[in-house]
Amino acid sequence: MTAFLARRAVTLGVTVLLASFVVFLIPYVTPGDPVRKIIRSRVAGEVIDDSVVQGLAADLGLQDPLVVQYLRWLGRLLGGDMGLSYASRTPVVEQVLPALGITLSLVVMTLGTAAVVSVVLGVVAALQEGRAADRVITTITQAFIAVPEYWLAPVLVLVFALNLSLLPSAGWAGPSSAVLPVAVLALRPTSYFTSAVREGMLDALGAEHVVAARARGLSHSRTVWRHVVPNGLLPLTTLVAVWFAGLLGGSVIVEVVFAIPGMGRLLYDAVRNSDIPLAQGGVVVVVGLAVVLTTAADLVHGLLNPRLRGHRA
Amino acid sequence: MRERPVLVLAASAVLALVVLAVVLAPWLAPYPPADQDLAARLAPPSAAHWLGTDHLGRDTLSRLLDGGRFSLTVAALATVLTGVIGTVIGVVSARRRGWLDELFTRANDVLLALPEMVVALFLVAVLGPGHLSLLLALTVTGWTPFARLARALTYDVSARGFIEAARVLGCSPSFIVLRHVLPHLAGPLLGQATLRFGQFLITVGALSYLGLGVQPPQSDWGAMLAAAQPYATRSPLTILAPGLVVFVVALCVTLIGQRLARVTSTRMVLASAPSRTVPDA
Repeated sequence: MTAFLARRAVTLGVTVLLASFVVFLIPYVTPGDPVRKIIRSRVAGEVIDDSVVQGLAADLGLQDPLVVQYLRWLGRLLGGDMGLSYASRTPVVEQVLPALGITLSLVVMTLGTAAVVSVVLGVVAALQEGRAADRVITTITQAFIAVPEYWLAPVLVLVFALNLSLLPSAGWAGPSSAVLPVAVLALRPTSYFTSAVREGMLDALGAEHVVAARARGLSHSRTVWRHVVPNGLLPLTTLVAVWFAGLLGGSVIVEVVFAIPGMGRLLYDAVRNSDIPLAQGGVVVVVGLAVVLTTAADLVHGLLNPRLRGHRA
Repeated sequence: MRERPVLVLAASAVLALVVLAVVLAPWLAPYPPADQDLAARLAPPSAAHWLGTDHLGRDTLSRLLDGGRFSLTVAALATVLTGVIGTVIGVVSARRRGWLDELFTRANDVLLALPEMVVALFLVAVLGPGHLSLLLALTVTGWTPFARLARALTYDVSARGFIEAARVLGCSPSFIVLRHVLPHLAGPLLGQATLRFGQFLITVGALSYLGLGVQPPQSDWGAMLAAAQPYATRSPLTILAPGLVVFVVALCVTLIGQRLARVTSTRMVLASAPSRTVPDA
């Protein structure tokens, strides 16, 4: 177990360092003078004069070797200093944190919805294996992954917001504004979760202790609830953690369509406006959090499945 | 579960029809895709315009046929590219093992944690929008599912008697891979490729929808949807049609891919009994 933990920790560290280095390089590899771009993200005023640029470059250490500059940048990042956004001229961190909060609540609601729906559907499908209910559930949930979000979202807005006036068409204020975005976002995870629950339940139904429980004379419902469901839902736990990481950066379309000021919207705006500091801050936060969550999912997986610790890293 | 080849056959037929229509677009389309008829803006379906027109009076059907070329081409190229890269990496890892396997597994873990859309946004920001950055964005993270599958299957196949026999007979490692390993991977990888094509098609549309994929004057299904959105209430068909095409194609491809994956994996299991545990990728 110690070796397993150590390997995961090393992978985590290397990933975060690599990703942050790539993000650090953005001003150097995009078109234009890197020195001016970096000065723009650190100095509140507009700097045009060449001699002033030279002086600032020296002050900010922009003539130092790249590695030194990277370490300095990393240090500032860890201290919560991500520079100034080009567009708003305010610290990036002040925009990233509220956006992260909104996306996190969106993701939590989405995964909660997907988990509840898929547990119900998956359990029913497994208990009705091969019968009509199973076939309908399996076919429909499989079709969910083929639905483009950028189509479903505007169509739902058209129907529920513009034609029926039941729900708000955009924005992020109150529970009613979350209904449509969560419905759109939950479709894909529901598809994968349902099939995982169904498979897990079928495996659990065939297990020897279930046969033994039946042989002991336990009633059907008691067998199912005591012995099948808890084991059958096990695969769902790691899947939810993996999807948590994926949805953090996967809500771009939904946030853009519904004008939700979350991380997806922030990254999209940053890219459209070539707002380098904002893009850097957004990517670092999303990727960092995603990597930590994926590692956490692996650890949970390792804890629940002792057999994996030896091979898997 | 009862098998339903009817559904898969129907899906294949629909898919073939759409692809054929897109390929033959220059001959089939009733109008040139960029032709504007400002007098007939946002027209409802009629004999002249089967699916109506958009906000510039362009024929929706002609634009659908033309726009499919970009979406389908990029998705197909991405599928082939990621399929080949992933298969090579997966097979080499599983055959060589050792530090190479360790390195690829680690790279795979790293990429798995990166959200696909964020990587795409990042690359488009750095390289600028266009075919190439779009393809690169899909490839950077897209090869990993193929590599994981190819690696696991190669581990499985490598443990079997005929591989050992071929080695003892003095066959070269490359001959063994080409002649004995790859044929066993072909089926499951094809299923995987089909499923991935559907997902790529959706992602290409998503990036075009965000204005980061296809650039005007070119258009594709995602870009059509984005352009039509302000006029959705006046002419719902302009947003319904392009999305419906993406959905139908993705659905057909998914049905076919799931069927392929199921059939070939059953065959694999039957052929490789007794099954051997593989280190998970």
